Amino acid sequence: MKPVIIQLITAFIGSMGFAMLFNVNKKYIIQGAAGGLIGWAIYLICESAGMSMFVSSVITGIFCSAFAEIMARIMKAPAIIFYIPAVVPLIPGSSLYYTVSNAVAGNAELFRSFGFATIQYTFGIAAGITVVSAVIYMVGKTQNNH
Amino acid sequence: MNKNEYNRLVDLLLDFGEAMLLSGGEVSRVEDSIARMGRAFGALETDVFVITSSIVLTLCFEDSVRITSTRRIVSSVSTDFIKLEKLNDLSRKCADKNPNIDELGNKLGEIKKLHVRNNKFYIGSLLAAGGFAIFFGGSVPDGVAAGVFALAICLLQQRVAPKCPNSIIFNFICSAVIGGCICLIAGLLPFLHSDKIIIGDIMLLIPGIAITNSVRDMLVGNMLSGGIKFIESLLCTGALSLGFMLAISAIGV
Repeated sequence: MKPVIIQLITAFIGSMGFAMLFNVNKKYIIQGAAGGLIGWAIYLICESAGMSMFVSSVITGIFCSAFAEIMARIMKAPAIIFYIPAVVPLIPGSSLYYTVSNAVAGNAELFRSFGFATIQYTFGIAAGITVVSAVIYMVGKTQNNH
Repeated sequence: MNKNEYNRLVDLLLDFGEAMLLSGGEVSRVEDSIARMGRAFGALETDVFVITSSIVLTLCFEDSVRITSTRRIVSSVSTDFIKLEKLNDLSRKCADKNPNIDELGNKLGEIKKLHVRNNKFYIGSLLAAGGFAIFFGGSVPDGVAAGVFALAICLLQQRVAPKCPNSIIFNFICSAVIGGCICLIAGLLPFLHSDKIIIGDIMLLIPGIAITNSVRDMLVGNMLSGGIKFIESLLCTGALSLGFMLAISAIGV
């Protein structure tokens, strides 16, 4: 099987695992896991379009957050229930591991580049979510004024 | 309502906020929900301030009754989204119709009694760690091994975590023990890749969601609660890295 397909399938399984681990209601587990799959697909598309790791993370963060807010309104449940399984494949577990193992091995160059990647992922996703929260807040304010 | 009922309401709202925070609700959601419920019960003004370790609530009623109460939160969060969903529903129902204090107390008591089903927790951890070990480039046997070690992490989380002073110490112990075991097993079975197995299991321990959420909280304006969580998550990640470093350098990959 192609690595991309394996990644998409395992992103789905892993997100489903997290949804179960956090005791998400049975009704919403599949939606959350699907969010994880689509989110990772979007990240891969951004990356293959030549965008940097940071920009790809921001775009994926925006998608995951928007997806969660839309699902929350359809299903009448808190957005965080959909958001967490969707964003899980972006957690930089792998780059954190290589940061640490290169620190142990004394490879300063690799340690720096993996450490930098870890930071880029984290702040990229956070920036993406912030964009969506800010837009929702501003839309809410404008509606209340009228 | 008389003075006693006002006090009871404030207590119930603090209980509600604590339960919501401990089941994984965001700080802003807890603040909004408490304020909404306070107004539904006839408070003219509600002032709520929530951080991850404390809630401060002031309710202002007619005839200038003003009650302030605080709640220190000592238990650690154990994310449970079924509970969070039920609490969220409860707060919305309160705001929709004429609420009743006894009914709120009963419903809150029922929700607080709900327990996480262990099977779901074990299967979820197994799928998550196994899935992500393969996701980050491991083979199928690596995924299976990561799943087995995920069960060991669950056991540590249930048995050892309550005895640890905080999550930072727990993360260090857990990562050193699990990392050591993974390196040993991978040494005995050369077809396994210890790095991929560790990465799968790191996903369960790393406070990645807490970090992104806390950065979001800070950027949105909840400086204090976001900052506290950010520092805690960074220290947890540091402890996690140190534990794995210790295991890798002691046993070798």
